[in-house]
Amino acid sequence: MAASIVVDRLSLQYSPEASRALAGISLNIPSGTCCAILGPTGAGKTTVLHAIAGVLGKHHPESISDGTITVAGHTYTPLPKTILFPSVALGLQDSYVQISGVRETVYDEVLFTLENLGESLEEGKSRIPPLLKELGIDHLANRRPTTLSGGETQRVALATILVARPEILLLDEPATALDLTAKERLQHILKSLRQRTTAVLTDTHVDLALSVADQIVVLHQGMILFNGTPKEFLGQMDRFTTVLPLKGWSRALQFMLPSSRQMSPSQLGLAERLGLL
Amino acid sequence: MRLDPSAKLAFVLLMWTCAFLLDWSVNLVLLLLLILARYLVPAYRPQSSRSRKSFDKFLAYGITIVVLLAGVNALFLQGGSVVFSVGGLDFHQEGLMFGVRTAARLLLLSVSILLFFASTPLPEFIHFLQLKGLPPQLVLVLLLTLHFLDQLPARIHQVFVAQEARGAPVRAGVVSRAQALFSVISPLVLSSIIESIDRGTALEVRGFLHKPVLASVPLPTERSASTLTLVFLALAICVLAFTVLRWLLAL
Repeated sequence: MAASIVVDRLSLQYSPEASRALAGISLNIPSGTCCAILGPTGAGKTTVLHAIAGVLGKHHPESISDGTITVAGHTYTPLPKTILFPSVALGLQDSYVQISGVRETVYDEVLFTLENLGESLEEGKSRIPPLLKELGIDHLANRRPTTLSGGETQRVALATILVARPEILLLDEPATALDLTAKERLQHILKSLRQRTTAVLTDTHVDLALSVADQIVVLHQGMILFNGTPKEFLGQMDRFTTVLPLKGWSRALQFMLPSSRQMSPSQLGLAERLGLL
Repeated sequence: MRLDPSAKLAFVLLMWTCAFLLDWSVNLVLLLLLILARYLVPAYRPQSSRSRKSFDKFLAYGITIVVLLAGVNALFLQGGSVVFSVGGLDFHQEGLMFGVRTAARLLLLSVSILLFFASTPLPEFIHFLQLKGLPPQLVLVLLLTLHFLDQLPARIHQVFVAQEARGAPVRAGVVSRAQALFSVISPLVLSSIIESIDRGTALEVRGFLHKPVLASVPLPTERSASTLTLVFLALAICVLAFTVLRWLLAL
């Protein structure tokens, strides 16, 4: 069951001496939708995710913050002080560290999350095989989690948090280390999660965001420069060329439009979704 | 063949008791037996090629340290007869024996614990600690430390390559290596701290600190294993009692 996220005028400084990491940002992410937070390195993307997940409130009690965060109906002023797992799941930027290494097979690594939650083994048996199948990693169930490729590790890392059936899924730059095929697979997975989970992902590039997100937020130096739909974003793309690597994208879109007959099904789907055809 | 980690830990305790309380000759024999166990006892075979290499490398360094320790002590701790002379330098029996005694003790302590970690996969050890009811915070710290140690050689190699790429003569010789130590330590410590924080966060956001685990991976807790644990513990107590008795009789 998905849940909504409301961030209201959230400001944050890691310490009194540090500059503001977030400067009064407000977000409203309806349940069951996907929001992509874009921005350059140091914009505050990871800080937003860590604040919502409760990691920031727990690990940086010395931080100075203001505003409120409402997650799944619970309002925190200003930050949740405990980690909100399993209702909120956080996927870290480096999926390799998400693999605990304390279990010898992919299946047991995923089961480890349920063990932490005190779920029964039977629950694991009923949840894990369909999940691994859905993520296309059922054939890896008996492999050692530390011997997988980058794309496979990424999906195993996703399985380790999705098995808890979170209402909210936060993914920090999930596509960074992925090749094109792995990226397409991730797009497919994120699309399949729609309605079931509210997803928030961050990225420095726009391709994944345009393919899966219902809402795009552009963050720069802790401030929101843009908050709207992918179509609105495309309409104002020129505004963000200094903060996002968009030049290639503008050219690609211009190139794509007149030759829609030559597009692959996924490109066609994207162009249709963005109202370009 | 796997052995229950509790039996292996009891064995480490026995070895440590012997190292501290028994004569150096016994320690030396035990050390040789441990080295033989690494090759002959299936339960003590290193679990991966990396742990095998690490163990063998440690032994090679260990033997060098024994020789150095014995040599330096024989040279500077003068007492007893002169065992041999090299280039006008006299090596004395008393210093030599002191060096060998100390080295045998240190090696027995380190080889026994190293053999435990080399032959016990990290997942099995962590699972064992969780099942024994250790606080999750403590298990988390142990896990992060062991991960750090496990990754250390690869990370040092990475940092060396990075420093070499910047033109630093980090492998030119012993002096260069020593000089390069500072340029290696700083990135090593920083990257390790960052990874440990990330790894800890990743475990926390998977609920690691929530509740104790259920037994998903059955450990080989056979009756023979628990009997073995008791035998090793009893032997350690016997060694302790024997030492106390010997001390009392000598009074």
